[in-house]
Amino acid sequence: MWGKIRNWLDIRIGLSELVQTKLIDYRVPKNINIFYTLGFIAVIAYVVEAVTGILLLVYYIPHPDHAFRSVQDIMTKVPYGWLFREMHAVGSNLMITVILLHMIVVFLMGNYKQPRELTWLGGGLSLFFVIIFGLSGYLLPWTQLSYWSTTVVTSMPTAFPLIGEPIARILRGGDHVTATTLSRFFALHVAILPPIFLALIGVHLFLINRIGISATPFGMVDEEKRPLSEFKRKTHPDGYQYYPHFFRKQMYMVMAYFAVMFFFITFMPSLFFTEEANIPADPFRTPPEIRPAWYLLAPYQFLKLIPNKFFGISLQAVLIIVFLFWPFLDTHKEKNILKRPVLRGFFLFLLALWVIFMFWGRTS
Amino acid sequence: MKYHVLALMIFLFPLMATAGYKEEFEKEFLTKTWAGQQVEENLCIACHSSDTMKPEFRAITEAWQASWHAQNNISCENCHGGDPKDASLSMSPHRGFVGSPQPKEVPEFCGKCHIGILSHFMESGHGKALAASRKAPNCVTCHGSHNIQRASIEIINEQLCTKCHTYERAKVMKQALFLTEKKFSELDKRLQALKREGIYADQEEKSLFNIQAEFRTLFHTVDVSLVKERTDGVTVKLDQLDKDIKAMFQELNFRKNFSAFLMLAFSGMGIILFVLSREHED
Repeated sequence: MWGKIRNWLDIRIGLSELVQTKLIDYRVPKNINIFYTLGFIAVIAYVVEAVTGILLLVYYIPHPDHAFRSVQDIMTKVPYGWLFREMHAVGSNLMITVILLHMIVVFLMGNYKQPRELTWLGGGLSLFFVIIFGLSGYLLPWTQLSYWSTTVVTSMPTAFPLIGEPIARILRGGDHVTATTLSRFFALHVAILPPIFLALIGVHLFLINRIGISATPFGMVDEEKRPLSEFKRKTHPDGYQYYPHFFRKQMYMVMAYFAVMFFFITFMPSLFFTEEANIPADPFRTPPEIRPAWYLLAPYQFLKLIPNKFFGISLQAVLIIVFLFWPFLDTHKEKNILKRPVLRGFFLFLLALWVIFMFWGRTS
Repeated sequence: MKYHVLALMIFLFPLMATAGYKEEFEKEFLTKTWAGQQVEENLCIACHSSDTMKPEFRAITEAWQASWHAQNNISCENCHGGDPKDASLSMSPHRGFVGSPQPKEVPEFCGKCHIGILSHFMESGHGKALAASRKAPNCVTCHGSHNIQRASIEIINEQLCTKCHTYERAKVMKQALFLTEKKFSELDKRLQALKREGIYADQEEKSLFNIQAEFRTLFHTVDVSLVKERTDGVTVKLDQLDKDIKAMFQELNFRKNFSAFLMLAFSGMGIILFVLSREHED
């Protein structure tokens, strides 16, 4: 039966040739490690988010009078609704973690350097859009946590003169977070962001395929030090076959991803649902301790420390721009960060600062 | 590289300069509420917390802010009437302002909302004594006026009751209430635990509240035999609620086991693939 289907497809689309050229003949560097699978894990994480999100969409009602109730019905009445919601919520946090790790690894290995500047930019923008995904999805359950976190986050643009207020008003659809905000965030979450994100991922994958996988700089002669005068696709003729060698690596990392996800769902089901996440939104009562999601805690704490909000936000905007365009700023030929003590020190300093601010924001 | 740094500095310096010198903008921005809470204008609170008020009047708002009423959005006008949004009519009788009630008027004053309790209280020894003398106990004698806290069995205590009479009868009443009140407390804790686990059992919470309210109105009759007589009916309802809550905990256990199974299944598949991958590399 399987043979017949394969033969049928082979005649029509040349399946065997496709598998041979794209999977078996496609070579990856010999020193490729499991950290190279993080990008693939991020794509799988997005697929999980999309599938569970569509299932939640069947029962969710984007209206302040029904949103909270519909989410509670998903948790208690819809068969296995709790599983899809937990997978969606835990998965979104894991997805951000995976993308962050992916970018850290790419940075440490110097794989953002020419000719891969655009690949880095595409990845950085994807992270930016994933965070907006998280922010817009945060409001949808219409809980005290979601309402007040959104209120705080949508207040941030008001730090900018002239354009700040209009931006905040456009985001909220008024002076406060209301039914209009919920509609806007819902549209953003389910209709506007997915095609943008998919397009970015498409461009990112195209560039990886077109430019070729970069070899890690550790213990290997890096031929990319050549001057970039013409396009040359990086290939690894003496490398391993993508299938089955690297594919198996990717698959066991996917299994590890799901194992971690179900570890959180089993042992820490309320890790991302604090007490305020189980109370319906009340615009007239601010909870005593309201904080944004963990991935925004560091910038939030940073803003709290700087009394001049405009300066605080501008500085962060500059940092984001520097982060996105870093490959264009760092024109040093050396890829190996172990041979660049200043950059390594600066990176570790920023990473430590981010972690400290995150925990500080959580406890203060 | 130099050009990039220069471009960055050109971008950074105006930001710093703007941030440092445009004080007017800063003042405007910093005076705005950062969180943007939708605060309802309440002139009662605004006036009573201002410096022009006597300290004893200022203490009223502070006491209310710490109360169970404040936590449940019961504001000044809900009890005292008046219009908290219009300064000229805030204390107008035309807007239902009643000010502070006389001791004898207190049960009616509180009974606007606590309807069931009012009728039981008025039929009780406390209520009859109040009808006869203004010095008899009313609601605020036990519950306080502005800093009203969530009622519990602890409100029946020797210190409070012996202000007016001996503790013996109150003690018998407390004993009659004890087991049922303990059950209320246990069920409430378990509902809170469910909430922490992500289950919003609002129907069960409402049900518990209704049973509790019904039972506590009985206490206000100060009739021990009546409380004992009705306790069986309340216990049946609480047992049913207990079963529902247990079923929810069982569901939570099933969820835990199910996701643990998925975790182990994926871990197992991961290990197999890891071993296969290692074998291939070797």
